[in-house]
Amino acid sequence: MDDVHTRSGVGGEAVTPGTRLLKIAPLLFNERFIATVVRPTIADLQSEVAAAGPDHVKRLRARCRGYSAFWMLILVAPFASWSDDLPNIAAGRVAVGSAVVTLTVMTLGAWTAFVTAAGALIAFLIHAWYERHPSEIAMPPDAPWRSPQINFSSTDVAGNVGGLIFVVGSVLIVSLGLPSVFWFLLAGTIAACFVAWGLAAWHSRARREDWTCAGRPRRQLF
Amino acid sequence: MLPKKELLILELLVSEGSMYGLQLVERSDGALKRGTVYVTLGRMESKGLIESEQETPNPAAIGLPRRIYHPTALGERMLRAWTTFTRAVAWEVKP
Repeated sequence: MDDVHTRSGVGGEAVTPGTRLLKIAPLLFNERFIATVVRPTIADLQSEVAAAGPDHVKRLRARCRGYSAFWMLILVAPFASWSDDLPNIAAGRVAVGSAVVTLTVMTLGAWTAFVTAAGALIAFLIHAWYERHPSEIAMPPDAPWRSPQINFSSTDVAGNVGGLIFVVGSVLIVSLGLPSVFWFLLAGTIAACFVAWGLAAWHSRARREDWTCAGRPRRQLF
Repeated sequence: MLPKKELLILELLVSEGSMYGLQLVERSDGALKRGTVYVTLGRMESKGLIESEQETPNPAAIGLPRRIYHPTALGERMLRAWTTFTRAVAWEVKP
């Protein structure tokens, strides 16, 4: 590893990037987690800063990436599935969740916090639904798979409850940007549910009468 | 079952050899994130799929030594078994 660029701290001593983060870490994590997760993250920050050389912009960019990775780690760590040995895991989850909600309310307002929480809940719902009821929509044979992550538009759903979750989530997302159209979208969603119900009933009757839809596979709403 | 990220990490380590965490992030084309890659690596290490060691510290350098990761024999066997299984399932599913 090349020399890491340092800067002067209080008293004129050299401060390596990530030194303060290393001091914070023992307050939040146990020894094992620091050794296997926190120290490598900080080592990456330091090696990237070193690799950036004397270029100020590159160094600043490396620092930003490294620090954001560290703070992302702080958010993710209490929810990491293998971190059962972390001290006070439940308290950590509550603390992180409360901090995120409080910061969102303080900076963006209660409405945005509510929509964010609702969006997160719906994202969990739609992913849970998708895991249990994968879409039957025809896909090209060689379609590249990509994780939907939090991107609603790349989650495959069909005309069932998964689709309804998708619509409600989309309404909430659009409402975040355009609060004035919330009631219009809500009314539209409710009206669309009635239309969908009517169509499902019509298809069901047509199938029973062995009419135009004969032979179609049965659509499952649940 | 082998989660997708763990499968990707094993594939990268088996096909390209030992790597640092940041190298894995760069080679994954965005599938692995800097903020979470070490959580995944830590989990895999606790499962015995990979192992890591600190790089030899350079006396002239300031800063922490990085960790280098490589697959264990169990990890390689797991990857082979999983690949064989998914191929067999795909063969059964395809008409």
